[in-house]
Amino acid sequence: MQKAVMVIGGGVAGIQSSLDLANRGFRVYLVERNPSIGGRMAQLDKTFPTMDCSMCILAPKMIECAHHSNVTLLTYSEVKKLEGSVGNFKVTVTRKPRYVDEKKCTGCGICSENCPQEAPNEFDENIGMRKAIYMPFPQAVPRVALIDKESCVECGLCEKVCPAGAVNREQKPEETELDVGAIVVATGFDMFDPSAIAHFGYGRHKNVITAMELERLLCASGPTGGHLIRPSDGRIPRSVAFIQCVGSRDRRGWIEHSYCSSICCKYAVKDAVLIKEHEPDSLVTIFYIDMRAFGKGFQEFVNRAKSEFGIEFIRSNPGEFSEDPATSNLMISFESPITRTVQSIPFDMVVLSSALVPSKGVRELAKTLGIGLDGYGFLKPEDAVRRPLDTTVPGIFACGYCLGPKTGDIPDSITQGSATAARAAEVLAKTEAS
Amino acid sequence: MKYAFFLGCLIPAREPQYENSVRKIAPELGIELVEMEGANCCAPFSIQSVDYTSWLALAARNLCMAEQMGLNILTLCNDCYESLLATNTLLKGNQELRDGVNAILADVGMEFKGKTDVKIFSDALYEDVGLKRVKDAVKRPFNGLRVAVQPGCHLTKPKRIHFGERTGVSALDELVQATGAVSIPYERKEACCGGPLRGIKDDVALSVAKQKLDSMKNAGAKGIVTVCPFCFIEMDMGQIEIKRHSNEEYSLPVLSYAELLRLAMGMKLEDWEIRAHRVPITGLLDMAEAK
Amino acid sequence: MHEVANTPRGRGVLACIQCGRCTSSCPVSRVVPEHNPRKLMEMIILGLRSDVLGTELPWYCLSCFTCLDRCPQLGDVGEATFAIRNLAVRQGRIPEGILVQARSLLENGRVVIPSRMHSIQREEHGLGKAPTVDVEAVKKILKRTSFDRLVGKGS
Repeated sequence: MQKAVMVIGGGVAGIQSSLDLANRGFRVYLVERNPSIGGRMAQLDKTFPTMDCSMCILAPKMIECAHHSNVTLLTYSEVKKLEGSVGNFKVTVTRKPRYVDEKKCTGCGICSENCPQEAPNEFDENIGMRKAIYMPFPQAVPRVALIDKESCVECGLCEKVCPAGAVNREQKPEETELDVGAIVVATGFDMFDPSAIAHFGYGRHKNVITAMELERLLCASGPTGGHLIRPSDGRIPRSVAFIQCVGSRDRRGWIEHSYCSSICCKYAVKDAVLIKEHEPDSLVTIFYIDMRAFGKGFQEFVNRAKSEFGIEFIRSNPGEFSEDPATSNLMISFESPITRTVQSIPFDMVVLSSALVPSKGVRELAKTLGIGLDGYGFLKPEDAVRRPLDTTVPGIFACGYCLGPKTGDIPDSITQGSATAARAAEVLAKTEAS
Repeated sequence: MKYAFFLGCLIPAREPQYENSVRKIAPELGIELVEMEGANCCAPFSIQSVDYTSWLALAARNLCMAEQMGLNILTLCNDCYESLLATNTLLKGNQELRDGVNAILADVGMEFKGKTDVKIFSDALYEDVGLKRVKDAVKRPFNGLRVAVQPGCHLTKPKRIHFGERTGVSALDELVQATGAVSIPYERKEACCGGPLRGIKDDVALSVAKQKLDSMKNAGAKGIVTVCPFCFIEMDMGQIEIKRHSNEEYSLPVLSYAELLRLAMGMKLEDWEIRAHRVPITGLLDMAEAK
Repeated sequence: MHEVANTPRGRGVLACIQCGRCTSSCPVSRVVPEHNPRKLMEMIILGLRSDVLGTELPWYCLSCFTCLDRCPQLGDVGEATFAIRNLAVRQGRIPEGILVQARSLLENGRVVIPSRMHSIQREEHGLGKAPTVDVEAVKKILKRTSFDRLVGKGS
């Protein structure tokens, strides 16, 4: 009865699904809980193995979504309630208040320039700062500012200076009810917080960072303008170590991610090459257990990393880190595969290839939608072999990393996005016929 | 709080001053120690290395005694703790193993029923007596004495037997702070002291002890606080032995936590107890009396 | 490998992926190059039985369990070390230091008993005699488990 689909999650998988459905003539409500669509791909600098600029690939799709006559963007919004069944869902969506009128804001940024208050920048993995009234990131879609009320000191300056009169500090949350025939979940992933693995010292040693943090440091639109500098003193690191399998392939009771996250080997090699491109004289070492570079072009990429870029690959998982209090360098102890004894090497900076885990809040969403999760918190497919993109509720489909690690890379997410569009279209076609 | 008091072998044999301190402070903290008459060696790692079943049976006999007394076991030694706790956990969780061990224990008229728990001194103080009571008992706090706490491996490892988040090191730190001393952070705090190899491979034991002493000294410690009697010997006597071999001196007096607390509670250590510390502790005693 | 995996403490060997984190976490490996937990597991996996049971390697272990807590695959190296020691003992290999303790256990029910000096000290300062042991019970148990035969004291 309803020729509309709701897509929950505005990362690349959700965007692809939305575009495919919109191009087929269906109405798409794209619900994204962050103030802009784009997801994780928007945070990346380059993609592997082609080393294309991530945002350059994504931005056209984001803009197409924004301008497509069949797509309604519901950003800074969350799904609150679900009623009905396949073909006839009624979804209640809460639109969180931006305190900025989306219709009036032109994205000029004058408000932020004048704002006196700062807060950690979530998009930059809390490395840099942003203002209390801010644009999520330069290429945000929609390009509308929002106020973080917790950091806001209510000085009222933004309201005064906004040339479009778009600031509305009295805005309230809004509830909308939408009728859709099918739903696509595309909530993506978070990066595992490696402080749970104490001996890596994440959170204690300043120069131990996660791969996502590194992406923001390398990205030209990031907190350092793309200059690779290390957190403790802003110096360019002359030596960087990557540690693989941090939180992945870990069966211990308090970690519980026995799975392989599927893309860490790939992103680490990509990031290692990027670092070498930024700083050709630096020493880059990857400590791995297995190098899982499957698929077309990836093993070749690894080979190039070794021969062309001189990146060192050491098959050993380090057991001890110690920080030099004077320099904040890290002394990494590992068993050398050559001498078979414990060696210690100093590094300026260490990057942890941390596991990818289900997005925060997915449990609550699953409960609201009534869909099943597996032991790790990823969405459980109805039939992992025959219907891998169907959730346990008919009419609700899923794509991308919220289902867990498959191939895990961007083309994979795009493929799944298109596939769920087809599944959803099938439901709507039936509904239309009946 | 009433406990079946499991002293183990090492403390009665070599560190009676540790036992003395515990007996002196127990009544002040509301702890009643009931002797385990006839209790045998816990079967530490040396014995576990010889035979698995022997270990379980010996450890289980002590657990049975406590069960018969209707009390939980209180132990002062990390190795005893590990042996008894691991046995308790294994036998409670595995029927087949339990039956096998009980068949042996039948020879000595005992049966493991899984009705007791094992606690080490610092955890018992923290969990059962409570930090408040310990703080209230402190009459002469150490004014910010910077100590390196040596928790000992088997206070918290292996994690899955020690229930992960259970008290352990942070509890011990808080107990030390309750006496007015400051537990300083230092590299490799949870690393081994080398004790288990004492008497088996002494040079290796000392090399490992040296790593710990180095990191304690580098962090600016003025003293060391231990729980385990093996750690005590290794850190205390170990400094004397290292000085003999390589002339390196650390001058870090070592106290067991019980002694630290006893001093902070306003009691004095007797001469024989003071002499039992190879690295002189007179400096620490002065600090305790200064207040 | 399966011989070890079938002992109660050696089950973890089947899970080992040879990542080496255990060795670089080990406090002994840093000072004794011959000691290498990963290598012990490697030798077990490769089936080098006589090498494994003949090497000094497992006897350097402190049983600190750092390796065990850090192993991502639950390989339980620290436990496998005990399994190897038990097997080695059955072949008649026991370090002197352990033998001394084992013999004391058989004789006195304790791995170490108070020296004369310490006995006097206890009496003088009100601690009384060291706690008594039911030596007969210990002997009975250790005879039943053939411990006495393993340390060369039994019939």
